[in-house]
Amino acid sequence: MSNLADIILNETRQIIENKAEVCPEITVESEFLVDLPMDSLDLATLIVTLELTTGIDPFRDGFKTFHSIAELIALYEGAAV
Amino acid sequence: MKHIMVTGGSRGLGLGIVIHLLNQGYKVSTCSRNKTTAVDDLVNNNEHVKWFQCEVGNAEQTATFVKSACEWAEVPLWGLINNAGIAKEGVLATFPNVESDALLQVNLNGALYFAREVLRVFLRQNTAGRIINISSIIGSRGYTGLAAYSASKAGLDGLTRALARENGRRNITVNSIAPGYLDTEMSSTLSDKKRDQIIRRTPMHRLGTVADITPAISFLLSDEAAFITGQTLTIDGGITN
Repeated sequence: MSNLADIILNETRQIIENKAEVCPEITVESEFLVDLPMDSLDLATLIVTLELTTGIDPFRDGFKTFHSIAELIALYEGAAV
Repeated sequence: MKHIMVTGGSRGLGLGIVIHLLNQGYKVSTCSRNKTTAVDDLVNNNEHVKWFQCEVGNAEQTATFVKSACEWAEVPLWGLINNAGIAKEGVLATFPNVESDALLQVNLNGALYFAREVLRVFLRQNTAGRIINISSIIGSRGYTGLAAYSASKAGLDGLTRALARENGRRNITVNSIAPGYLDTEMSSTLSDKKRDQIIRRTPMHRLGTVADITPAISFLLSDEAAFITGQTLTIDGGITN
């Protein structure tokens, strides 16, 4: 698994734990708003945190839809190239 | 100590808000296009205030200001006062598009860009926070010759309501304050006739002052106002009754 994938998984887990929610098993197939106890503001927090941590903003030129962890990892890996 | 950002804090109501918040014990960062003697004096005599040059309405400069101000403050950001605004008068039929574009860019987009950057800080901090948009009674009542200004302030009230809904679950409150006619530089262009007419129609029989507005700001920033969000508080001496 790439470094970016690790960061995304860890930050996602951290956001869920900060809400004092029990963190379910997170896999790359997990969908943020379906399988994980996250809402749209949690997703915004994740994106803002990832921008700070990685210096990458895949949404600079407009919003791109994503649902799962794998899709988000792909967006970051694509923008990092 | 809590950090508050005030846009357009170099003169008029903005400067009054900065001074009031300093007196209330806040750390205050402010910005404007140009530095004034008044804000320069303030900064030179108080280590809890810092002025930055920033063109409100410019998204890139807004992001830079918010980042720099947070680094300077060294304490969590607690609030944003979206105060910067411009007013230009003229009937719309002959009002140049370039003027209304510029006005909306500062008054509405400028506030939106600031709210966006500050909300990102609140999310990163994982803290509650406050956003106060300085609107105007013109936004709900309208005024001849102020169509673009009125639209910008009505838009600001809409922004307030939407952001209140969007961010309430993070204990971030968003409210508008809608002053009536204030005795500031912005109203100094009113003719004597118009000024007298406004005073006559105001139940309190005077124009408002900066000191009439600032206590409402410190109240909305306080813990006591934690359950007030999405509201527009009119402070106008009763003229819109």
